[in-house]
Amino acid sequence: MAALSLPAFSATQPVESSVSAGVSNYKEADIPRGDVVGGDNRRYDIDISQFRLLTPIGNRWSVDLGVSRETMSGASPWATVPGLDGEADLIMSGATIEDSRTEVNLSAALYGQDRSAAVTLSSSNEDDYAARAVSVSGEWTFNGDLTTLSAGASHSGDVIEPSDAALFGRVAREERRTRSVSFGFAQILNRLSALYAGFSLTRHKGFLSDPYKLRDIRPPARTERALSVRYRRFLTGADGAIHLDYRYFDDDWGIVSHTVQSSWYQNLGNRFQIVPNVRYYSQSAAEFFLPVDNFLLSSEINQSSDFRLSAYGAVTAGLKGILQQPQWALTISVDRYMSREKYGLTSGYEHPARLQFTMASVVLDYKF
Amino acid sequence: MLSALLAGALTLGVGACASVQPWERGTLARPEMQLDPNPLQSGLYEQVYDSKEAASGGAGTAGAGCGCN
Repeated sequence: MAALSLPAFSATQPVESSVSAGVSNYKEADIPRGDVVGGDNRRYDIDISQFRLLTPIGNRWSVDLGVSRETMSGASPWATVPGLDGEADLIMSGATIEDSRTEVNLSAALYGQDRSAAVTLSSSNEDDYAARAVSVSGEWTFNGDLTTLSAGASHSGDVIEPSDAALFGRVAREERRTRSVSFGFAQILNRLSALYAGFSLTRHKGFLSDPYKLRDIRPPARTERALSVRYRRFLTGADGAIHLDYRYFDDDWGIVSHTVQSSWYQNLGNRFQIVPNVRYYSQSAAEFFLPVDNFLLSSEINQSSDFRLSAYGAVTAGLKGILQQPQWALTISVDRYMSREKYGLTSGYEHPARLQFTMASVVLDYKF
Repeated sequence: MLSALLAGALTLGVGACASVQPWERGTLARPEMQLDPNPLQSGLYEQVYDSKEAASGGAGTAGAGCGCN
């Protein structure tokens, strides 16, 4: 899934227009040569350009346009096989994959005295994947503007047309459909703190397997539940704000996950902020996860050796600097993500495709 | 477990709130006190995590998917 449309603490029209532009680089660490028995060990390197315009129209409407473009290259795991040392080894895709993705999101929101409603159309296109989504959402602020309830629903239709399908015996064309509903509750606790709780229920149906893996057979449906709690508090003495976020997730593939994230926004004078952040993530394995592919199993039996379905934990540590002026802000950030089986809350197998990546971003925001 | 977490969050939210007058909300309006101070950047991170980890969702409605490997 792509980015989420996050509710606010209150359903109010933006008072000014804003333009944001950003460039980012996402780079995955190479897989150790000793864990790869075939193919290229260099993983994804992605350059991302983003643009967003948010503007009020009249005194009741706003429009939000977001465009992002990604260009990527690298190899991805093709199969997992038993290694000579007893550990699993990888066969990676032989040639470097080159692809690009363009995503466009367009929202229109209508504001009343204490409520708002929005419609969002989304489109994402890659050489081998196309997705179209529509979502509707509403917010209602009451209790002296201290409490906001929100609700939303979305539908996405995706088409997968794997490249070199005939050459490698992949499916030629498949579809999947995703429907999601969400509910949110935001509460201003006092003049220095606020709390948000949200719940989402998502149902995927259709072709959910990875067509690029030699053996990857997943159930044709998946139901996910997620609950998130977010807390914001300003500490006057320290002249900074703490963000504490937690998310619980489970699905009917047997995966249970916990995510904890915290950021500290430290003001340094009136114009500069430094923001260290840390994130911890843990998931259990899907019921049909196998550490190595089993080609003797019937193709009717679900199995996947995708590292994203294995049991592991991950830690992200990052640092952000923000230069804040009355009309504009410049944000520079770098984050490092490291995943290992032993970091997880449940035990599993150390996957040779465990992920490590570094992401760096520069974002300029301008208000007018 | 899910319902217990939801009930706890709502109880904490409603039970702990105090009256805050409009003129007392200057701090809450600061950029660093927003739920999402940098939507452009958080949207990108959300997409990366959603495509590289099994878990997703929990807040808001989803946009268009991707074939990210």
